[in-house]
This record gives sequence, C-alpha cells and structure tokens, in this order.
Amino acid sequence: MKNLIYTALFGSLLIFSSCQDEETPATMALNIELEHVLAGQALELNGKSFTLPSGEDFTPKKFKYYISNVELRNSVSGETYVEPESYHLISEDGNKSIDLGMVPSSDYDQLVFSIGVDEIANGKTDQTGDLDPNSDMAWNWNTGYKFLVLEGEFTNSKTNERQGLVMHIGTNPNYKTITQPLSGVRAGKATTLTLNSNLDELFLDPNTLEVSELESTTIMFGELAGKVADNYSEGFISIK
Amino acid sequence: MRIQIPAWLGLVCMCGLLSCGNKSENPVSGPTPISLDAPDYFPNNVAMPADNPLTEQGVQLGRMLFYEKKLSADGSISCASCHQQQKAFTDGNQFSFGVHDSIGDMNAMSLSNLHWQNRFFWNGRAASLEEQAVQPIEDEREMNLPIAEAVSRLQADDQYPALFQSAFGKEEISAELIGKALAQFQRTLLSANSKFDAWIRNEVQLTPGEQLGLELFFTHPEPSLQLRGGNCGDCHLGFLTAGDPNGFTGFHNNGLDAEGNLATGLMAVTENPFDQGKFKAPGLRNIALTGPYMHDGRFQTLEEVLDHYNDHIQNSPTLDVLILEASNELPDGSNAVKLHLSEDEKKAIIAFLHTLTDEEFINNPKFSDPFN
Repeated sequence: MKNLIYTALFGSLLIFSSCQDEETPATMALNIELEHVLAGQALELNGKSFTLPSGEDFTPKKFKYYISNVELRNSVSGETYVEPESYHLISEDGNKSIDLGMVPSSDYDQLVFSIGVDEIANGKTDQTGDLDPNSDMAWNWNTGYKFLVLEGEFTNSKTNERQGLVMHIGTNPNYKTITQPLSGVRAGKATTLTLNSNLDELFLDPNTLEVSELESTTIMFGELAGKVADNYSEGFISIK
Repeated sequence: MRIQIPAWLGLVCMCGLLSCGNKSENPVSGPTPISLDAPDYFPNNVAMPADNPLTEQGVQLGRMLFYEKKLSADGSISCASCHQQQKAFTDGNQFSFGVHDSIGDMNAMSLSNLHWQNRFFWNGRAASLEEQAVQPIEDEREMNLPIAEAVSRLQADDQYPALFQSAFGKEEISAELIGKALAQFQRTLLSANSKFDAWIRNEVQLTPGEQLGLELFFTHPEPSLQLRGGNCGDCHLGFLTAGDPNGFTGFHNNGLDAEGNLATGLMAVTENPFDQGKFKAPGLRNIALTGPYMHDGRFQTLEEVLDHYNDHIQNSPTLDVLILEASNELPDGSNAVKLHLSEDEKKAIIAFLHTLTDEEFINNPKFSDPFN
C-alpha cells in the first residue's frame, strides 16, 4: 500500500515537472521594490543626519517622487510590455514598491521608466489614485505636479546657521526617461526587481551642488531645478 | 473547449455565492449601509474601516451620543458643548471648559471632513476616529466619566440598548461600540459647499482679492524667480486644505515658540526629540468661524495668524523647513525668518480663507442636536 502511494506521488511529481519543462506560463508576476540611499546608508526621515557629497550635513524630512510610464522590453524578441495608467508616487515614508501584477512572459532585458509625470497627465487635475491633486505633489491647479520633492535641513558652512533645503522639481522639461538593463529576468518566473535610488546623485553628475553656496535654497522652477533634473536623469535610479 | 469548462464552472460558483449571500441577508434585517456623499474632487482612495462601515442606524446613534450629556460625570456637558455646529464644531474659547468648570490646555478642534484624516488630537495620540471619540469622555478635564460608567449609564437607559441593537446587532453596549457610533456620525460631517467648493465646481468666480489669495495660499515663494507665495498650502493640502494624512507627515512646528519654550507636541507620541513642538495641521474648512487659533488658541483673529507667519516666526531646531525656507525676498543676511508678504497680500489670503466658510454645513439639520 505504501509503495502504491509513493508511486502515485512520484508519478504526479513527474507529470508536474514535465508540464513545467514544456510550457512557459503565459504571464509572470513582476514587482519592483525601491530602496533609498544617501551617503551609503538607508534613508531615514526621523531626524538622522547624513553627509552630502559636498561634505555638508543634511537631515532629510521628506522625500517623494513619481515614477511613471513603466515599460519592460525584450530587445532580442522585440516584445514590450507597457503598464497602463502607469503613475506611481514613491515616498520614503509611504509606498516604495511598484507591483506590475501579471505581465506577459518574456526574458525582459530592459526596464524603461520616467521620473515625473508626462505632459498629458501633468496638464490635468481631475485625476485619481497617485495623481490625486489632493496629495501634496500638486502645486495648484495651473502648475501641474512636483515630480520630485526633497526637503530637509543643513548647517550652512559659511554662516553656521541651520537652513532649510526645499527641492520641488517639476514642469515638463524636467520629465526624464531612464533605461536600465535587466539581467536574470526569465520568462514565466515571478521576479522582484530592486531599484536603488541614490540621493547623492541629486547633488552630483553632471551638476555639482553645494547647498551652502546657493543664492536660494528653495529649488523650484528655473535653471537650478533643471540642473537637479539633469542629475536625476543620470545615475540616480539604478538596478541593484 | 478547454477554456469553456472552467468558465462555466466559475459561473456556477458565482451563482452559489450569490445565493449564499441572499440567504444570510434575508432572515435578519441588519443596519442599512450608507456611503459618504463626498464630492469627486475629494481624495477617493480612503476606504471605510472594514470593522466600522457607515450605516444609517450607526450614524443616528452616534449623533445622539454626540449630544448626550449623560456621557459627562455630572450630566452637564456633551461632545457638542465644545464642538458646536454653528461654530463649525468649535466653541469659540481659547481653552474648553469641562465638568465643574475645569479647563483644558488645548483649543477645541473643528470637526469636518474627518474621514480623510488618520491621526487625531493636536498631538496625534489617537490613530483612528474610533479611538479618539471615547477619550474626552474619560479625560478628567473634559467629561470626566470612567468609560465603564458611561457604558452602564447607557445600558440602563430606556432607549440605548435597542439603538445599539439596531446599529451593531447587539444590545450589550461597550466602549468600543460607543467609539464606533461616534466615529460614524463624525465621518458624516462633510463640509463641501463653501464658495471655494462652488469655485472648484466652476459655478462661481472668485473676486480678484480671493483669487489672489488662493494663488498665494497654494504657492511656496521663490524670490529668485519673483514667484510670490503665502506658503500655506505646503501644510494645508489640496481641496481639503488639511494636513497630510500620511503617518505623522501632517504635524509641524509652525514657529510659535522659541527653543526654550517649545511644547511637547508630537514628541509625546513618538518620543523623538525631532518632533518636539510639532502639532497637527488642521483642515482650514470654515476657518473664519473657528477662532481662536492654534493648538493653544493664542491668536484671536486671522489677521493675527497671518502676522505670525509673516513676521513673528520663532526659530528652533524643529521649526518646519518649509517655514524656515519660505521668503518672498532673498536672504538679507539677518537670521530672522520672515515671509515678507505685503499688507494687501495678507488681506487677499484672508479673503480666500473666508471662501472656505460653508453655511450649509453649519445649518445642516442632520448634524444638529437630535434632542431638540
């Protein structure tokens, strides 16, 4: 009797494993997790002080940004998955993941996404979910959304005074699209991708920012906001 | 064909579920579910608590409890004594009076659009409306009635056991159910018919002063671009003009006191020195009716409030960076934190604040004393 049960178990195992060999499921679960890092340490908003690339101290209080229009590409087969209604508000003290759900199976080798909100969505206010204008990411009803918000305080190296740093970056030219190579994504296999958002890069490459040197440490609109946006378009978010 | 079979099975399962649902609903007539009739421009991503859905009977019971003086030690006051509808559910006092003329140390908060808030009391010590609602009953400076005594008074009453039965399916009253009923009533206190709402709905124009005030209200100033702002909307967000409901993000030190005199504030809850002097940013709906202002009611008028933000910010290590950093003029080398609004700009912001007054809200018979 026992043998019979073992045989049955073994038999069913064989059947299951042979199924897997032959057929790749049509869809696969894909999830993206984001990790926020400053000066090599996990970001915290509870009063902890960090060191900026310039050597200045910085105590972050708020960090939020939009990731939108997420796409998965297989550059070999040409398959592309475009997430519909793809707007994700990521924040250090809130949501830090993007669940794409079940996506068509493929050996995706590229992840494409944008920081900010595209021109069409940025021109409307009657939106819901992560684009709900009631969140503090909408400037008002004319100016669209803040794409990236970093707020905190630092000690001005010249005056030795505590000073605030307010980065509210938005407006259409600062919507930046980023492509990251993927490795290890296999058709049919549930995958969690980890993206690393390195806040050092907001102050570096191509534009070096020394906050004590700024005429105004409220960075909104204008040339300086564009420089920060150039910084976040390069090296800020990468696959871990 | 292989696809059709599971689909057909699915249909059978669904029918099964539906009929099960009908069976369980038919014999007992439970409380009648209702939904909040909120405008579509309010946040739509906040679900009702699964363990306290809104029902007609729950709201009606909550309304009675809100106006029920038996919930105070000597039967002299109810929730409504400090939260009066005509004053947008405040009491016009700097500090509220409890039983035996005892006096609190906080200004009674206005109650409206509470469904979209998640932390209650000025220091955020209650994580839900349900939790908040019973605390003033027990507080010795407020209603000063042990909650067990409140339960037994209601249980001994002619009406309440039956009302709890129809609202929650049991006659046995508990502190938890008192909190749930009060929370349900308070969730229905929607203020969404002010001039500001009519403007959002494109039904009216604002006056030029109100319009300027609105723009200043929602703008963080950027002097290097000559972008002028009143810096209000950084903390009083969106159409609700209320604090950020995400965790404790909506708590701020707004510069009322200097370092040595900072109140405890949110630090009482988080035990983090970083949170000293931080208080909840209240929703500003009906703000013209809810003076005196601030957590300790120190300002009598909106003019005093604007003067505070413009000229009298006290710096301290926990002063909000959005206040510390907000100025309509470039730094002049002095350390004073000043907004540099003109008199006309301050007047415009106050004109806008008056558009948040909602006459329908303060006169809505559904929110009034059911015992009158």
